[in-house]
Amino acid sequence: MKKILKARELSSFLFLVVLFLIVGILNPSFLTAGNIIACFNDSVVYIIVSVGMAFAIFIGEIDVSVGANLGFTATVVGCMLRDGQNWAVAFLTGILIGAAIGLFNGWGVAVMNVPSLIFTLGTNGVMRGMMYVYTGGAWVENLPAEFKQLYTMPLAGSITVSFTVTAVIVVVVHLLLKHTKRGRYFIAVGDNPAGATLVGIPAVRTKVVAYVVCGIFAAVSGIVFSSRVGFVTATSGNGYEMKAVAACVLGGISLSGGVGSVIGASIGAVIMASISRLLVFMELGSTYDNTITGVMLLAIVVVDALMQRRTAEMNRRQRLAARTGSADFGKGGNA
Amino acid sequence: MPEKALLNIKNIYKSFGMNAVLKGISLDLNEGEVLALIGGNGAGKSTLMKIIMGIYQHDSGEIYVKGEKVTSNKTSAALASGIYMVPQEPLLFPNMSVEENIEIGFNQKKSELHKELLELMRDVGWNLDLNRKASSLSIAEQQMVEILRGLLRRAQILILDEPTSALAFDEVESLFACVEDLKSKGIGIIYITHRLAEVFQIATDVAIMRDGRVPVRGKVSEFTREMLVKGLLPPDAQEKENSLKARMKGVDYEHLKPVFEIQNLSGYGFSDISLKVYPGEILGMAGVVGAGRTELATTVFGKDKVLSGRVLLDGKDITGLSTRQVIEAGLNYVPEDRHLHGLFKISDIAANTSSAMLEKKEMGRFFLNKKAECEMTQKYVDDFRIKVTGQDQLAGSLSGGNQQKVVIGRSLSTSPKLVILDEPTRGIDAAARGDVYSIIHELREQGVAVLLISSDMEEIIELSDRVMTVCQGRINGEFAGTDINQDTLMSASFGITKHSEVGA
Repeated sequence: MKKILKARELSSFLFLVVLFLIVGILNPSFLTAGNIIACFNDSVVYIIVSVGMAFAIFIGEIDVSVGANLGFTATVVGCMLRDGQNWAVAFLTGILIGAAIGLFNGWGVAVMNVPSLIFTLGTNGVMRGMMYVYTGGAWVENLPAEFKQLYTMPLAGSITVSFTVTAVIVVVVHLLLKHTKRGRYFIAVGDNPAGATLVGIPAVRTKVVAYVVCGIFAAVSGIVFSSRVGFVTATSGNGYEMKAVAACVLGGISLSGGVGSVIGASIGAVIMASISRLLVFMELGSTYDNTITGVMLLAIVVVDALMQRRTAEMNRRQRLAARTGSADFGKGGNA
Repeated sequence: MPEKALLNIKNIYKSFGMNAVLKGISLDLNEGEVLALIGGNGAGKSTLMKIIMGIYQHDSGEIYVKGEKVTSNKTSAALASGIYMVPQEPLLFPNMSVEENIEIGFNQKKSELHKELLELMRDVGWNLDLNRKASSLSIAEQQMVEILRGLLRRAQILILDEPTSALAFDEVESLFACVEDLKSKGIGIIYITHRLAEVFQIATDVAIMRDGRVPVRGKVSEFTREMLVKGLLPPDAQEKENSLKARMKGVDYEHLKPVFEIQNLSGYGFSDISLKVYPGEILGMAGVVGAGRTELATTVFGKDKVLSGRVLLDGKDITGLSTRQVIEAGLNYVPEDRHLHGLFKISDIAANTSSAMLEKKEMGRFFLNKKAECEMTQKYVDDFRIKVTGQDQLAGSLSGGNQQKVVIGRSLSTSPKLVILDEPTRGIDAAARGDVYSIIHELREQGVAVLLISSDMEEIIELSDRVMTVCQGRINGEFAGTDINQDTLMSASFGITKHSEVGA
């Protein structure tokens, strides 16, 4: 099982390497250390939002409100910082907003049993609207210079602090998910909700927690986003939900739930973040960015569906072959 | 009752809306007891078990576990107090390994758990590759994983919901050995089953549930099989089963051409199958679960690939046709698992009945002829005595027996020449079983050929004109007339007799 998971992440990583190599062949000036490090540094927002999304997908659901969550948090936190509010208070407010949005989504999906796509789509609309209401459609500008430098602050060479911290967080979250009892609950609930209930896993609570985690990650990505971009518009965060879903799927997380890891989601996020840069080096311009993301998402989902069907079919045939060949499958040696 | 009752249930009531499911249930379970709980579908067995497990909450009444009143209605609380239920259809995590499946939800260290699990498996005598993915396990193997899960939790009250319904013969043996072992260790077991023979084999006590009550309860030694059967039937049940056999008349094979013929058919799960079915005949296909009969049926029905051989219906070659073409040709299949393949649960009964004949002209060319649908549905509802509140009731809310009648009704709506019935009465109560038998007999009288797949030998004997036994994907025996009896069929099904061909 672990081997398979590793293989899933490994293939995502290989895909990333191949992608870089192809662009490098088309345009050798891409393959410099600076460019590649920049790809990773640029991916922080995507990684954070994708890790959150991974939680929603682990439990077999989805959250398409992360883009609006990101935008709204960025707006509120941006305004607070612009008005000279204490950073810690501003960040905490942002995180609370994200958690509240997640709690609301979790309530709708897990408690009220509304299909997650529909419910979070509704939340998405509400939060987008709230952004307009909050700012009156105006841009949030003039953020403190120190805050804007936060994102690009270097750690060693051109590797940034923000990327390093994010990477550490991802690894910690991964370890928590794999090696703690409660961490395993997320995957279990996505794998078989009814079965989870039967072994005493609180399925509803686990789902709500997954959405809260997803909301918090989206909020944090909103804060990082405002630091990186330096201003927030009414459309900030648009399309991040698709990027995040695509990143998860690229990283080997199954949309039917129960399979994958946040490491995979992060690798997928790096790929997503690199696309616009890669397009520039391929002299295509970043106008194709969303189209290509969508095509990749669809391609992987279709391939995944086909592969799942094939494995299921192979498992079935294997089982049948075991029957006709010899009947002594699974039984004990107690004869 | 004795002081050390593991489980004590007092006067439990439960209603879903207007529907009273449990009407004052009282039961108790002591250490080392195996309480066989038998009863028809809709008797409330599963509801009661779900209440014990804390999945549902009861309206009134009290539950005591080891003398302590249960106040929390959470599954985790039930598990903590030592109750574990092995559901009828195993609920594993398909993407996890066997070991992860068993060990999930524990607080202990992995290495300790692993050691305990290995010891446990040696004790029970089951060999399972712990690294296999759960999605690759057979149903029997999944059931073993479920039981291991319960045992590893040191459950003192184990609920087994029809554990043998998907197990092969030798697996049943090892399960029974395991139950005996648990019994001697003082574990109390509630054993839900439809097989009366099992009651006498392993149970110490028996309780019959009927219509939300427990009218009969006592030590197994106080009962005979006949008493149990009588207890299961509603008081006013008529003895129609006896009359069925009398109505049967022999099939005149000499002057008939087979309506359905399989020639050396091989596919996934079976090989080199040849058989003939004559009009107005019921051909029984006996065998153990997993012998390849369902695979044969689904392959003929166009759901899987034919590897070699031919299938003829009324002289027409239907080998490898699509399911739709096969239905058009006049063959219909009523699947074994009506939940998975047979029923549109969230559609109403009318839609379920008409769904197989939507292509037909009388149902309207473009818009659905609601009147025709209504009439046809009413006919089957009446004919089969399906208990419904109305045609618009959702199929998923029917009891198992009535669901099965809807599925059979649908297959007949296409006026087929041959109907393949796969385990038509699996998990159905005695009364509904009688109704299903009458339906099958009526079919036969109308000249429809029936291929009856069943693992219930009594059912095969009761209904079939001829019987073929399938063992490990091959036909290994054919029986007719007086040769059809428990003994011959059982031994052939388990592969003991080779080719005892009988001239038809």
